[in-house]
Order: sequence, then C-alpha cells, then structure tokens
Amino acid sequence: MIDEATELTRAATPLCQLENDLGRHDNPAVGSPGELVMSRVLLIEDDRQTADEIVAELGDRGFQVEWAATGIEGLDKARIGEADVMIVDRLLPGIDGLTIIEVARQEHIRTPVLVLSALGAVDDRVRGLRAGGDDYLTKPFAILELIARIEALLRRPSENRDTMLRVGPLELDLISRTAKRGDRPIDLLPREFRLLEYMMSRKDQLLTRAMLFEEVWNYKFVPQSNLVDVHMGRLRRKVDGSHEQPMIHSVRGEGFVLRAPA
Amino acid sequence: MVKGSFSVRLPEFARTTTFRWTLAISGAFTLCVILMFVFVLGEEYSYLSSDVDRLNGENARLVTAETKENRVRRLNEYLQNDPRRVKLGGLFDSDGNRIAGNIENLPATLQTDSSPTDVSLIRVDALGRDRQLARTVASRLDDNSFLVVGRNVQQFTWIVGVVRRALTLGLIPALGLGLAIGALLSVRGQKRIDAVNRKVQRIVDGELRERLPTRGTNDPFDKLAALVNGMLDEIEVLVRRLAGVGDDIAHDLRTPLTRVRVSLERARQKAGNIDELRASVDKAIVGLDQSLDIITALLRIAEIEHSRQVDGFRDVALADLVREVGDLYEPIAEDKKVDFAVKAKEDAIVHGDRDLLFEAVANLVDNAVKFTPQGGHVALSLLRKGNAAVVRVCDTGPGVPAGESDLVTKRFYRSDKSRCDPGLGLGLSLVSAIVKLHGFDFRISSGPGCVAEIAGRSADA
Repeated sequence: MIDEATELTRAATPLCQLENDLGRHDNPAVGSPGELVMSRVLLIEDDRQTADEIVAELGDRGFQVEWAATGIEGLDKARIGEADVMIVDRLLPGIDGLTIIEVARQEHIRTPVLVLSALGAVDDRVRGLRAGGDDYLTKPFAILELIARIEALLRRPSENRDTMLRVGPLELDLISRTAKRGDRPIDLLPREFRLLEYMMSRKDQLLTRAMLFEEVWNYKFVPQSNLVDVHMGRLRRKVDGSHEQPMIHSVRGEGFVLRAPA
Repeated sequence: MVKGSFSVRLPEFARTTTFRWTLAISGAFTLCVILMFVFVLGEEYSYLSSDVDRLNGENARLVTAETKENRVRRLNEYLQNDPRRVKLGGLFDSDGNRIAGNIENLPATLQTDSSPTDVSLIRVDALGRDRQLARTVASRLDDNSFLVVGRNVQQFTWIVGVVRRALTLGLIPALGLGLAIGALLSVRGQKRIDAVNRKVQRIVDGELRERLPTRGTNDPFDKLAALVNGMLDEIEVLVRRLAGVGDDIAHDLRTPLTRVRVSLERARQKAGNIDELRASVDKAIVGLDQSLDIITALLRIAEIEHSRQVDGFRDVALADLVREVGDLYEPIAEDKKVDFAVKAKEDAIVHGDRDLLFEAVANLVDNAVKFTPQGGHVALSLLRKGNAAVVRVCDTGPGVPAGESDLVTKRFYRSDKSRCDPGLGLGLSLVSAIVKLHGFDFRISSGPGCVAEIAGRSADA
C-alpha cells in the first residue's frame, strides 16, 4: 500500500519535468529558444467549484489561467486572442459552448479548443469536434487527463514531411517501415509501429490511455480490459532492451511518456 | 357590467354524438317522407284533374252537339244516375238565368272559354241544396246561352285529409321512436365511455394494473379496448423493467460507493501518515472510477438503444473487422496464456455501423478471454450460413449455465460464478443493444464452454 502511495508521489515528477521541458519544444507559446514562456489558458466554465479546481491545478503546473463564467464573457476574452488554448464547457448559460466555438472559428480565431462535457454520448463528441473543437473530454475527468490533453493541444506536431522520426537513439523510418535503437534493429508489428510513431511524434508528452485508444486505435469506446497497457508492454519490451535505459515510462494510473534517455 | 350569459344545459345523453346523429337522421327521414307524400299527392291530383277535365269536356261536347231543343234533355240525361252526387251541370240563358241543370246560378268567377276551372258553387237537386267544390268547364253556346259541366272534387280534399292524417299518425310515432332509440343508444354508449373514462383516470393516477372493460362482443369498441389493454400490458412490463433496472443500478453503484465510503472513513480515523492516507484515497478514486464507468456504460447502452442512426449505416467488411479485433486482443490472450485463434477466410459484407459492430465483437472477445482459464482456447471466426454472416466467439471457459442464456444479456446480469471477476456486468447487454439496433440475431449457447454468435443478413448474398 505504501508502495502505491509513493508511486503516486512520483507520478507528478515526469509532468513537472515536462513543464520544464516546455521551452525546448515547438510550442506556439514559446518566444526565443531556451526562454520559458507560460502558456495561457482561457477556461470558459460556469460551475464555480469546478472552475476553481481547474484554475488551481493548472496554476500549480505553471499555466496562466483566465476564467470566464459565461459564454459571452468567454467569447469576448477569446476575441482578444491572448490564450494559447481554450477549455470550453459544453453546456453554458446564455450562449452554448458549441456556439462559442462556432462563432470563434467563423471569426478566424484558431486557438485550439478542448471541449468539456457532462454529456458523454458519442454523438455529442462528434458534434463537439464538428463545431470546431480540437479535443473532447467527458466529465468527470482525472485532472491529469485534462492536463495531458491541454499539453497535447499546445504541442500539436507541426505538419512536417519528415520521413524519419528521431528521439535520442531511437529512429523510425516511415518509408521503409523500420525502427532501430542505436544499431539494434527493432522488429515491430504494424500495430506497434503505429503506436511508436504516435509516441515519437509526441515525445515528452503524457499520453493517457484514453488518448492512445482514441488516436492510435481510433476507437471511441471504453475497453473493458487493460488493452492499452498490454500493447504498451509489448512495445516497451522491444524498445527498451534489458541493459538499456528505459525510454517508455508509465505514469501510474494515467498513461505513458516517451523520453530520450537522460 | 357584463350580464351573465344564460344558456340551457341539455341533458347528458342529448349532447352525445350518437344522439345528434339520430336527431339528424330522424329529421332527414321526416323530410323525405313529406317530400314523397307531396309528390304522390301532386301526381294523384294531376291525374284525377285530367281525368275529370276529359269527362267534363266530353260531356260538354255531347250537350253542345245537340240542337238547341235537345240540349236540356241531353243535360238531364247526363245528370241522371248520379248516386254519389258528383255530376254537375247547368244551362243558363244569356242573362244568367238557369234553364236546366242542378247548378243554382252561374258562378261569377267562371271563365267561359272552355278552360277547366275550380269553383265553389251551389248544387240544387231533389235531395236539397248544398255548396260543392267543383272542377268545371263553361262555354258560351251559339244562342248566347251558357253551358256549365262540372264534377264535384270534394273527394280531392278528402284524399288530402286522409294523407295528412296518415302522415300525422305514422310520422310522429316514427319520429318519437327514432328519438327514443337515439337517446337509448346514446345513454348506453355514454355509460360505456364513462366506464372507460373512470378506468383511464385510474390508470393516469398510477394504477397501471387497471384495464379497460371489454364485453367479448368483438365490436369495434371492444376491439379498441383490447388494443389499448395490450398497449397497457406492454407499458406495465416496461415500467416494471425500468424499476428493476433502477434497483440494479442502485445495487451496482452502491457496492463500489460503499467501499469508497468505508475506505475513506477508515483512513480518516486510522491513517498514521500521509502515505497511508494517500493509499486510501487511491482506493477511493478507483471505487469512484468504477461507479463512473457503470454510469458511462449505462448511458452508452441507452444511447445505442435509443438511436435511430440507420441513416449512418454503411457496408461493413466483416473479415477485416474480425481480423482487427483479433489483432487487438491477441496480446491480451497471450499474456493470459490462452490460445487465441482468428479465422476469417471468407469475407462477408453486412449493412451497419462499423464502430458499433467492432465494439460488439470486441466485447464478446473480451468476455471470452476474461472467463477462459489459463491454457484454454478462444476462437473468433467469421462464417457464412446461407444468406447470413455469422461472427462466432467460442471459448473453453465455464460457459453459461442452462437457463441463463437469456438472462446474460440483461443489464447487470452476472452469473453467480462470475460475481468475483472484475467487470461491470454490462458488456453483453451492450452487445445485445448493438445487435438489436442492426436487426441482427444474438445467441449465446453452451458448447463445452460458451458460444456467442452474432448473425446478420449478408449484404452481398
């Protein structure tokens, strides 16, 4: 039991490290290289208690959060265009969350949007994304899931045409569909190749199980078994050899991070 | 000041549609009968008149044809043999004085141009003097005398009287009878409707066990009542099932929530350090997640059960889907040391929602792998049986006990044997909902282990 608890304490570590790493990645919020700029988040959420928790948690993790309690206020703040990412609640008094996103998109506000909703239906998710949302999270959510998704939105891989992905000693050739770590070739099944490609293009980011299941496998349901863990276990045994420094790290209870060895 | 309006309130039976219809039909019937009588009378009158006119004309001609001297004799001959006192005739000189005949004097209104006229005149004969209504023809003769020949048409009036009496004696009772029957039917119908209304009111008040009264006569009203009763049966079953689901939800949500509560309470009292507290909070979060998963799964089932997204259906290649599910679960089976075989040699196309079908098949495989002990086998195969495409999942697990194969698709149903295994007890009801949405068949039977089959009509058959 104590082991579990200590692991939880450690769980925060990779994320803190991620925060520190922010400056070194192609983050739209980054000014000159090496300089750490706080990412600004605009939160449009009518429930004060939820908003307080999110603001506090994001603040602790180095985000600068602005909170709008109504749709109109939120839309005004979105128009100023200072936010790097927006979190929009689906159901708001006055203007509905989806309407805000639609209006913002019509006005060419391109800020990435994470839609929060207590409506969990698949249909609703589709509607959220169709309205111009970039990601969708159902309430209630684990706070780490929210953070992971915000970071994913902040650091969406640029549309580069690189055919070779590299993270530390790990190389993935998208043309020949081969992988190697240093000189050691890695034999990957197609599904493992897809998973590794996704992780390498989002190195140093926390990727939650739900994100992986949605993005890599493209499935929208919640699997009953620990499918993602088992597949990740396979991949990890291939990527991290017994005498090598681990690159794939679990964040207990939440997800996985791929990092170059220190 | 508005004056209070004043209205006469009709008795209940008189306000029913039945009564109004009876009233309308009776009115129409009366009108028809009256019109018919008028027509008959008119025909009769014109027939009789023309007959009388013909006779009058003939007799007038016979008298006129005689010589001046013989006219009186001829007229008297005509007037003889008249026991019913209907023949009338008179010969008058140019001053209007009677020469012969039984008409007292020349009526002033008489036309002398030989056209038939109805006049009232006075008859004088051996039996006396009396006024008669007659139809006559009058003509001026060559010696300036006037000849009037007529016939008593008092019988016409008598006929009209008879008809009027017949109408009164026949129509009024008929009309009365009609109204009485209308009122009776109306009261009877009203009674039946009142009985139904009372029952419906009780049902509205929540007495779902009440049923509409039927007489077993199989009349339209009875048929309607039987139909409504059938609907009520269905509603009652649904409401009961809903209540049952509510109980199930309460039970399955309470279990993890109770664990959360106990765990938190214990930690509050007993935790010696922050790590112990954290461990308890972790357990509580797991319990809460489990409760939330149940809610999510329930909402998902409800969403599928209520969706009518048949528009979004496309052709789905099952072989591909089966292989993909196999690919997803192969590592899980291997980890559990369960042999997992995927067979999809022949392709089959069905019409449906690929994501949902994937979810259904994945759920079946998930279950099979979960319940098959180490060293067992799970087989996922795509077969064709005639027009049907069948996805079959067989395992060598404990199987479904006889008599439970229908129950396993119910929400939260978990075989007692599986109570201790992790899971929400919702997987198969989700599969069942998806299969139902597609109009496919879902069967679970006992092989050596468990055999689950989804059978759909193949679109390329």
